[in-house]
Amino acid sequence: MTALTRRNVLSAAAATAATAVGPATLPEAAAAEAEDMQLFVTLSAAITGIDAKILAPAVDPIDIKRQYFKVASTDLAFCQILKITKDAPNPAAAADRVMNNPEPAVKYLGRSIILAWYSGCWYKPETLRAYNSPNPPPPPVNPDKVISPAAYTQGWMWRVAQTHPMGYSEWRFGYWATDPPPLDDFIGKHA
Amino acid sequence: MCAQRIIDPDVVIVGSGPAGALIAKQLGLAGRKVLILEAGDRLPPSINSYMERFLNATAKVPESPYQPDLFTDGNLTDPATVNAGRPTVLTLSPNGGFGAWQDPKQAYLIQKGPLAFASTYERVNAGTTRHWLGTSLRFVPNDFEMKTKYNRFVDWPINYSVLEPWYGAAEHEIGVSANVQQQGYLGITFEPNYSYPMPGIPESLVDHAVEKAMPTLKVDGYGLQNIDWTITPTPAARNSQPYQSRRVCAGNTNCIPICPIQAKYDASVTLADAFRTGNVDVMYRCVASQVVVDANGKIAGIDFIRYDTIDGPPVERGQVKAKLYVIAGNAIETPRLLLMSKNGGRTPDGVANRAGLVGKYLMDHPLYLAWALAPEPIWGYRGPLSTSGIEICRDGEFRRYRGAFRIEIGNEGWNFPIGDPYTTTVDLVDGLNDSGLNRDKEALYGSALTTALNNGLSRQFRLGFLVEQSPEDSNSVTLSDKCTDHLGLPRPQIRYDLSDYTKEGFAAAKATASAIFKAMNAAEFTSPPAPDDPTSFEWHTFEGPPGQNVRIKYYGAGHLVGTHRMGTDRSNSVVDDKQRSWNHDNLYLVGCGSFPTVATANPTLTLAALALRTADHIVKNFPP
Repeated sequence: MTALTRRNVLSAAAATAATAVGPATLPEAAAAEAEDMQLFVTLSAAITGIDAKILAPAVDPIDIKRQYFKVASTDLAFCQILKITKDAPNPAAAADRVMNNPEPAVKYLGRSIILAWYSGCWYKPETLRAYNSPNPPPPPVNPDKVISPAAYTQGWMWRVAQTHPMGYSEWRFGYWATDPPPLDDFIGKHA
Repeated sequence: MCAQRIIDPDVVIVGSGPAGALIAKQLGLAGRKVLILEAGDRLPPSINSYMERFLNATAKVPESPYQPDLFTDGNLTDPATVNAGRPTVLTLSPNGGFGAWQDPKQAYLIQKGPLAFASTYERVNAGTTRHWLGTSLRFVPNDFEMKTKYNRFVDWPINYSVLEPWYGAAEHEIGVSANVQQQGYLGITFEPNYSYPMPGIPESLVDHAVEKAMPTLKVDGYGLQNIDWTITPTPAARNSQPYQSRRVCAGNTNCIPICPIQAKYDASVTLADAFRTGNVDVMYRCVASQVVVDANGKIAGIDFIRYDTIDGPPVERGQVKAKLYVIAGNAIETPRLLLMSKNGGRTPDGVANRAGLVGKYLMDHPLYLAWALAPEPIWGYRGPLSTSGIEICRDGEFRRYRGAFRIEIGNEGWNFPIGDPYTTTVDLVDGLNDSGLNRDKEALYGSALTTALNNGLSRQFRLGFLVEQSPEDSNSVTLSDKCTDHLGLPRPQIRYDLSDYTKEGFAAAKATASAIFKAMNAAEFTSPPAPDDPTSFEWHTFEGPPGQNVRIKYYGAGHLVGTHRMGTDRSNSVVDDKQRSWNHDNLYLVGCGSFPTVATANPTLTLAALALRTADHIVKNFPP
């Protein structure tokens, strides 16, 4: 698979089929890629509970979403979850349809994506599924890998706890003696 | 030849950890030429390379930022393949699987049991201060007089008043933040007008939550009925203001494994000062392999093996000579070196070992860990890993029959006990309940997930009890006769157990933890260990079912103590009160290995005080 087709997993394929004139041209591919990313961010915000404007801000120098998109897009069910998101009437419905999907491949990929955003680690969908099987492996549930140093420092589980990743304080001396800002300041107001 | 800039040293020091570094600096300031042999690597140009290793590690254990790498091709690195190996907490698992504690292909230490020695160390520039917490407590006076006061163990050959000025010097040398008026408990005294070099670190909200419960705390039995419970801010070698070119703590909550901004002291600070004297140099990747004794019983040199790459072949075998030698490995590597030093059969039991005590009385602060959920948010995962403790229970008549303890209040939620926030996050997303916080095993997403996770993580906290371990001659470091490192040197072999005295300390710790949680109206989540956990034992408690034992887990505190104990004469000890070998006038064995008893305080400050006292003795007694 080329990088182009991998990134444009859903929209490019659709565009190609609609026009039926061979491979998408570069501007079309870029637009398709942007749409895929938009769908990914929409779904990610809905399933993580983090406001999309904070999860993937318009000005996004770290651009961590691209790393998660890339690792998630290696999964065969990735195309399906983008399609479900596209077809859903709203983000909340998309989240429900993915996370309660009768197809385990879809549901567990959804869980892997949440955990990527939360922990910066990639937990393989099949690992998460195995722990829900009749004969689960012994704990703990280990991730396949840390997606990147930046992924660790962008982990949302820390912000949901109203703090910072261990080893990545954005605060000043003595902050620990006073209450943190409210949760909404960290994760935004979720619709 | 390797680049040895100090050609004719007065003193050779083995080990660049805190003891070696502090002595090197003082000797360098006094004009002595010092050469340090360090088994591990130099400090990288920027600690970002350590940080990157930490950030990329799936298991962010204390050893994770440092080399040798813990993993090779997805498996734990075989310790036989590296030149300067060291233990890791990943090899404390039951036998037969990943991290098996007695598998020499995974575990560096050859553990003979019956229980596992659970503490680890680093062999690298600055030694284990690379991953220490920074806690800098003084011992209490009775800690030096266990025999006199409680008819237990032995007295130290020096008492608190001898060490008092050296504690002050050590606190200034390593840069400790604390307020004198909060530290004078259980007989601890300070010199007139003394003040710590920096003001104390603010207490955390977790500390305050524990503090609020102190007036109502009652512990039945264990000699704790009449304690006037209170919490005490912990003196820490961590900056509360600029000092020694170090930055002010930003509360990264990551003192172990690594402070990303070096607000915490480590021995590289002292080493840098030492190098600036112009009299001190270090040879890295040089493993001392023998302490050479001449026909008159004097130390004549240190044999070393130098390597270029972590798992590569030796590139040089040499010997360094000086007038005086200081071994500052740690309480495992120092006796290992002494026992390896057979001098062609002339010292068959090793060097400095005429009393047969080298390697004996290995101790730790085996740690009891208890965790709970506060009734309301107390905001863990913020600030230094610990900012306060309960110290008032470190001494009392109960030490006649059980180990004392201090209590460390943790600021990192359930990170230490269960690897949170990972475990609870995975539980809530994947519908599991390893944490105990997802009893209905719901798989959550969206705002239900953020609400549940916030509710759990914001209320988590833990208490760590550093239990006083009795010195036992059967707890020992010897040499493996089968297993070697990549240089062909025998690996350390450990025999380790907990005595009834120590186990009864755990029973008291367990009861105290539960009483504190009850007084806080917090829900306890401490989970029992598996029966085959090599860091657990069965013991009876007052609270348990009558006639039935409970299984209790212990952790390592990272405190390696007691294998070349100091004493009053050559028959009962390895070194004198200046840490000088009874058997060899020009040999000093320094570090926590010199402690005759472990008491309850994290040991590094006392190590530092002893090191400065030894340096002073050397300067005064060995003219250049």
